[in-house]
Amino acid sequence: MRKLTLREQLAYQFALALVALFVLVPIWGMARLAFDEALKGAPVTFRLWPEEFSFTAFQKVWKSPSQSLSFLGLLKNSLVVAGGAAVTSVVFGASMAYAFARFRFPGRQVGLFGLLLGTLLPQVALMTPLYVLLTILGIRASLLGLMIVYTAFCMPFCIWNMRAAFQAVPEELEEAAFLEGATPSIAFWRVTLPLALPSIAVAALMAFLIGYTEFAIGWLFVERGENVTLAMAVSGMLGHGQAWSSLAALALLMSLPVVLAFLLLRRYLMRGLLMGTIEG
Amino acid sequence: MVYGLPLARLPQVDEIPDRPTTAGPASSLPQPHLQVARTTAAVSGALEVLALALVSPLAGLFLAIHTFTIKYTSQVMLEALPALTSVVAVLAYDHSQRRWNGWLLLSAVALGLTASGKYIFCLIGVAIVIHWLWQTFPRNGRGAAWLRWLEPVVIWGILALGVFLATDPYLWPAPVERLRESIFFHGQYTQSDAVQRAGLPTWQPLAWLAQSVPWHSGVFVVSLDGLMTLLAILGLKQLWQRNRLYVIWLAVGLGFLFVWPTKWPQYILVLSVPVSLAAAEGFKARVWEPLVRWARRLRTEGLRSDRLRARLMPRSVWRALPWLLPGVIVLLLIAFYPLLYQAGMALTDFNTVSIKDGINGGIWREVRDGLTAQVEPVDVDIFSFGRSTSREVHYAGIGPLLQFFTGAGADLLVFEVLWTVLSVGLQATLGVAVALMLHRRGVRFKGWWQTIFILPWAIPEFVGALIWMLIADPTYGWFFLGTRASFSQTPGHPLAQTLSLWQQNPNLALIVLLLAGTWLGFPLIMLAASAGLKMIPSEVYDAAAMDGANVWQRFRTLTWPLLLPLLAPALIIRGISAFNQFYLFYVLQTVWPVTTLASVSYFIFDSAGKYATSAVINLFTVILLVTLLLWFNRWSKAGEGVTYA
Repeated sequence: MRKLTLREQLAYQFALALVALFVLVPIWGMARLAFDEALKGAPVTFRLWPEEFSFTAFQKVWKSPSQSLSFLGLLKNSLVVAGGAAVTSVVFGASMAYAFARFRFPGRQVGLFGLLLGTLLPQVALMTPLYVLLTILGIRASLLGLMIVYTAFCMPFCIWNMRAAFQAVPEELEEAAFLEGATPSIAFWRVTLPLALPSIAVAALMAFLIGYTEFAIGWLFVERGENVTLAMAVSGMLGHGQAWSSLAALALLMSLPVVLAFLLLRRYLMRGLLMGTIEG
Repeated sequence: MVYGLPLARLPQVDEIPDRPTTAGPASSLPQPHLQVARTTAAVSGALEVLALALVSPLAGLFLAIHTFTIKYTSQVMLEALPALTSVVAVLAYDHSQRRWNGWLLLSAVALGLTASGKYIFCLIGVAIVIHWLWQTFPRNGRGAAWLRWLEPVVIWGILALGVFLATDPYLWPAPVERLRESIFFHGQYTQSDAVQRAGLPTWQPLAWLAQSVPWHSGVFVVSLDGLMTLLAILGLKQLWQRNRLYVIWLAVGLGFLFVWPTKWPQYILVLSVPVSLAAAEGFKARVWEPLVRWARRLRTEGLRSDRLRARLMPRSVWRALPWLLPGVIVLLLIAFYPLLYQAGMALTDFNTVSIKDGINGGIWREVRDGLTAQVEPVDVDIFSFGRSTSREVHYAGIGPLLQFFTGAGADLLVFEVLWTVLSVGLQATLGVAVALMLHRRGVRFKGWWQTIFILPWAIPEFVGALIWMLIADPTYGWFFLGTRASFSQTPGHPLAQTLSLWQQNPNLALIVLLLAGTWLGFPLIMLAASAGLKMIPSEVYDAAAMDGANVWQRFRTLTWPLLLPLLAPALIIRGISAFNQFYLFYVLQTVWPVTTLASVSYFIFDSAGKYATSAVINLFTVILLVTLLLWFNRWSKAGEGVTYA
């Protein structure tokens, strides 16, 4: 391909800058609010820059983002329900994923189909029955109940990705272990699992994010303020007479680690998101 | 005149005063006159079916059971006659082979009659002219050839116009003025209160096509309009190969109905004939022929028992079982049983009033009693606001689910499909375009640009939705704060007013949602396309450059076909997420039908407390996804590209 002329280079940069504007302007619309100290409720005038630039909103939501919990308290709840869901999915799903990756057994195709269906199902489709079933068990409004719900959302997805991770480990390595006299479970623990671990971690991270960013279903299940998660607290600030600067600050604060994780792990995450179908 | 002839025999009655078009049906019409008029309409409806059946018997059958066609050709409405004459015009034109014979004359006459029947049916005239000009287009024509090309069409059109003027008695006293007046009437009617109040979206004709007549319950023996439309979509390609004329008819009709602001249901009668033809082709190609092939294969091969046995190797069951057990048990408990329970809920009228009974085992009790026919199913209207006041759960049978399948959710389903296709299409366009720009050798700052572009992908979806809400909130969003500032001299400027009501206006709501959806979704496609482009060897381009292909040709014939299989997983993922999109709709608060199945299910659960209806919608979603998955699976296996198993 021939080299770009200066004019073409400028045209390319201009087009890319337009797309960048489309991406950044909405984000700035939120960030501007978070840094504006003068904002007491909803904004009433159009501004491009904060009226009084400060970090007050961030300090405020760090101390008392909701009525009953501090930021760390909210984060703890988020980690319990979302982390619990991710860990449960990996611990209980890993061996199943391995079986789907390595063994041929009757019902395998049906099982794979079921897993894929579970992955693609909208969360609401499980919400309705789980609401009733967890009410029957009396744990609906507890953190355990929410963790079970989020596990139901992320487990099929997690197993599907772990299966891809196990498949990526060459079978020859296991066969070599068998020749040394290892049993299948020893080969799994000593050979396959360590090699698949990075991909499993990515799968777990994405499973975690499903619970970490969920709020609508959480609000339906949770009744007491002390069981509110971070994402729920952000959405709870909508339309409750709260300052929009707090809303924006809390949303930015909770997104920041996620954005950093995505920027750093983008290649692995994309491979996971595409369910191991292409190499990124 | 046609209605007048049989009516003339009857005794004269008092004239009934003219009523506004928005008034309900008159209840005190003289019975004998009404009966004669309806019979006349029904006869022309039946003749329309007969005419179509001459071309394709199956299409005739489809048209005969199309409920909208039945309704509007058997009531005293304007549609019956022009529907008949328009079919005659098209069929006669097609039969004439564009030679000057009786058939071509007949088509001109029929078109004229159609025009005096109802203007909108003249769309078939447009379709005929397009087809005619296309078929006879002089490739290397000069002067005289162009004249020879246009001449017959113009003569034919003038003939039709003459018939129109001669057969429309309303025009006789002052043809020019009355013609102008009647056309202006329709133009003004589009801006009238009745049309504005209905507030139907641009894509409403599709919603009418996707459902059977929702009124007159119990009148129609079969209501398969939605299925017919599906078959028609599947059969479009075959119809195009068989006879382009009908596809042009469909395209012209649908295009006009999209653009024309009045969206009344009777207008789709313009489309019901080509839809029936396409449905017949779709039935033949996608249902009948596969069935025949399958039956033939079954006869010749028999069941392959050896293959079945090979699959059921018992040893591997015992080897795999311990590995499977923990995951299977958890999934059975937290996913499979809930889905089963949901299917049970969908068969009842369970709601917030009967929650005590429901959680104390009422669901399974009613399902058991209902399935063993110990209790009669109760009637449930799934979308009505009122709910039963009974504190007990009742068995409702598959009635609610059937309601959903036969059209109660057609508006929603049409929006779902439209939303999925448009939003993924826009995401793919922007994503691939950006990836191509970043792929061009020599472009500076690639890494920086890409880091900026993946931000929306990295931001959690619901925060992305919040970001767009801060823009588009009608009172406080900065877009509206900005526009209000610029319109401040004229408070209540009509444009600002319309814009700020975007959540209630389906077309504007779709645009806002598409903007937000594109913003959220294009980065993933860009990343997938960037990865894919790296895999296309540059030699391919060098060869193309030597052949002198331009940029667009290179993209269309090289890049896109090579890229598509690599992009397919990303497109499918984005498609499913668009289909299931929930947070965007939750935060932006658009109203029916501009919403997804998941959001409707959530709101019906949360605000209306109709748990059973929510379960019905979810069950419908599950069935839909299973069907789609089975289809994808076959498709990907056939393509041998991406395998999911």
